[in-house]
Amino acid sequence: MKKILLIIPAYNESKNILSVYKKIKEFNKKESKVKLDYIIINDASTDNTLEICKKYSMNVINLISNLGIGGAVQTGYHYAYQNNYDIAIQFDGDGQHDINYVNDICKPLINENVDICIGSRYLDNESSKFKSTFMRRLGKNIISIIIKICTSKKITDPTSGFRAVNKEIIKLFTLDYPTDYPEPESLVNVIKEGYNIKEVPVSMNERENGKSSINFLKSIDYMIKVSISIIIDSMRFKKRRKYKEE
Amino acid sequence: MSITLRVALIIITVIYLYLIISSVKKRKMQSSIAIFWIITGILLMVAILIPNFIELISNLLGFEQTSNMIFCLTIFIAFGLIFSLTMILTKQANRTILLIQEISILKAKILALEETINDKKEDKK
Repeated sequence: MKKILLIIPAYNESKNILSVYKKIKEFNKKESKVKLDYIIINDASTDNTLEICKKYSMNVINLISNLGIGGAVQTGYHYAYQNNYDIAIQFDGDGQHDINYVNDICKPLINENVDICIGSRYLDNESSKFKSTFMRRLGKNIISIIIKICTSKKITDPTSGFRAVNKEIIKLFTLDYPTDYPEPESLVNVIKEGYNIKEVPVSMNERENGKSSINFLKSIDYMIKVSISIIIDSMRFKKRRKYKEE
Repeated sequence: MSITLRVALIIITVIYLYLIISSVKKRKMQSSIAIFWIITGILLMVAILIPNFIELISNLLGFEQTSNMIFCLTIFIAFGLIFSLTMILTKQANRTILLIQEISILKAKILALEETINDKKEDKK
């Protein structure tokens, strides 16, 4: 059986983290085939996220200083690498992601020749009720187009934080993971390293509590920085990998 | 250049060099970085001691005015320095991130170990 780890970055998620934890427990009870381990990365939250985690004796790593989403997620990859996990799944601490899709997102890694599998909200139109705001969709379309131009791969949901990666990519991410806006940039890195990407349709919930951290000015700033870093990253020489036929 | 001005400049440059060397001695500056500052100090000294040294070079390079060359040179050096500092900064930031991550993981491990040890002790009692 494959060892699977959920990496849950949490910054000031005191209202959501408990329900996420309960859902994982329910999932483990319900499913006999897979057992999910999880690790919560508390990114030096200023609220009582850590106290809640301790109270319910959750599996938590408390970052001694705030690193931002990229640094927090990378900590999870370090943990996965050190504890020899086969698959690591990024899973948001704010309840946006639906745990029932974990099986779907893992299947391509186990059965097919896929290294990284992304849960996409936009792959087919019916599966997801929550598509987020117009501005965010516009933003992700632009990023999608830039990635398409730079790498000739079509990624429908490049900003999705719901993705599963195999051992090789866990190692890659421990060595190099972008800090500021990690999702699209790390995707380009993975494509440039010659790994196989697949997207599966998932549905995401609206945030249960709390506000999303992105506003108008920030999203413009985000777009510019992401575009530039994608373009620079795509200038790297593409590696070709040979896959063992299994 | 008048004699008094020249003497004043020499004194300032000597103090400048002394400050650099003493800070290296006290390990307040890495010697690899200090080399850059020492070279600037020596260049200053040469420019002060040898009359018309700077004019000569600027004529050779084809600047219309000596001051233009000095401005140009200073700006280039300053940019180069800032550029190298940004690179050092990024390197430091990456190292700090790695440190924070590793220490946090270690801390979590130690906490978990302590708990298991305490549990075992309680079981024995």
